[in-house]
Amino acid sequence: MKYKDYYATLGVARDADLEQIKKAYRKLARQYHPDVSKAADAEARFKDAAEAYATLKDPEKRAAYDELGRQPSGSEFSPPPQWRSDHASGFESFDNIDLADLLAAMGRRDGSARQGAMPVRGRDYEDTVHISLADAHRGTTLSLKLTDPEGEHTLEVSIPAGVTAGQRLRLRGKGGKGRHGGVDGDIYLRIELNPDPVFRVDRHDLYFDLALTPWEAALGAELEVPTLDGNVMLTVPAGTRSGRKLRLRGRGLASSRGPRGDLYATVRIDVPATLSERERKLYQELANISTFNPRAAFHKETSHEQAAP
Amino acid sequence: MNKLHLECEWLDTGESLNLAELSRVCGMSSAELDELVEYGVLAPLNSNQPEPQFPAQCIPRLRTAGKLRRDYDLELFAVVILLDYLHRIETLEAQLRSLQARNTSSGRSET
Repeated sequence: MKYKDYYATLGVARDADLEQIKKAYRKLARQYHPDVSKAADAEARFKDAAEAYATLKDPEKRAAYDELGRQPSGSEFSPPPQWRSDHASGFESFDNIDLADLLAAMGRRDGSARQGAMPVRGRDYEDTVHISLADAHRGTTLSLKLTDPEGEHTLEVSIPAGVTAGQRLRLRGKGGKGRHGGVDGDIYLRIELNPDPVFRVDRHDLYFDLALTPWEAALGAELEVPTLDGNVMLTVPAGTRSGRKLRLRGRGLASSRGPRGDLYATVRIDVPATLSERERKLYQELANISTFNPRAAFHKETSHEQAAP
Repeated sequence: MNKLHLECEWLDTGESLNLAELSRVCGMSSAELDELVEYGVLAPLNSNQPEPQFPAQCIPRLRTAGKLRRDYDLELFAVVILLDYLHRIETLEAQLRSLQARNTSSGRSET
């Protein structure tokens, strides 16, 4: 069995009180937490700190650990016979044992500190999977590769049509194997959608930008627009303003519960960057004859403000 | 390599589970979960029934809060605060997603 210097791991003195130990642990946990730290050894450092803390925060385990004396960290050692009968009577051999497992077994107060007598629940796995919009709409099958002590497994998971971004799902009992009668762990998946070049997604509704010419917006038009099921004809009413949303009911994403979402075309009016001579003339003529003033409200407010004082 | 074909279980409003099952998946005791109910951060679907059922939707949040509690050795009350904030983050993320979808892409990226 290899000796581990838990006090050194936490960076506290051997006579540190519980409050100092807790503070040192929390500081390290924050520094090396896998959610926070990007350092390559963060997870290992975090686990080391957690292991050290699990023993030192428990007065009984700490006392047993202290009784082992101080050895050089990492050196091979074997607990003295008295220690074995006091704290680890259930263990037959100490050669291939991790000190952490030995101390963890001490917490089990069912009389038998026997190695592995307690049911251990299998570990859970959590992951995020990215799928395309088309797969979310039509449903798909994901292949998940899992590696556990028994080897590599592939799980095929059916994702039904109608999944939305951020949705979670659980595969019960498909995580790590439980030991000694413990139940198997679960797999938790979070679904994210890959960005789509055309559509943006809000739950089951889809949005895309529809660029119109000034005359299409003013006169109305019949246009071919994309949907998940292929192109369809959309009627743009005369007098369509920029920013207006045209709804294609039931052309959004499939939903596992309830009706399909809607598809919205958000209108944007575009103008040519350069004009031909003829186009320029026609625009100029339009400018001369039109009485349309999109800033009428603005002018009204300005004059109101001038009149106010 | 063996292949296994599975159907999944959605963690959303349609699914529910009892206290014992919730305790198992979140790594918190039934007594601790009861305390979270008392604090008002966990609500059973049917509070007047003898065996309360909880929405499966709360599982990811409870698992995250429970894991942070174990990782940092926090008190249960810290879990109460965490659950409030996690709920807020989830709501804001959904709002952000929604706003990003509704805004025209030209309006966001044009230079």
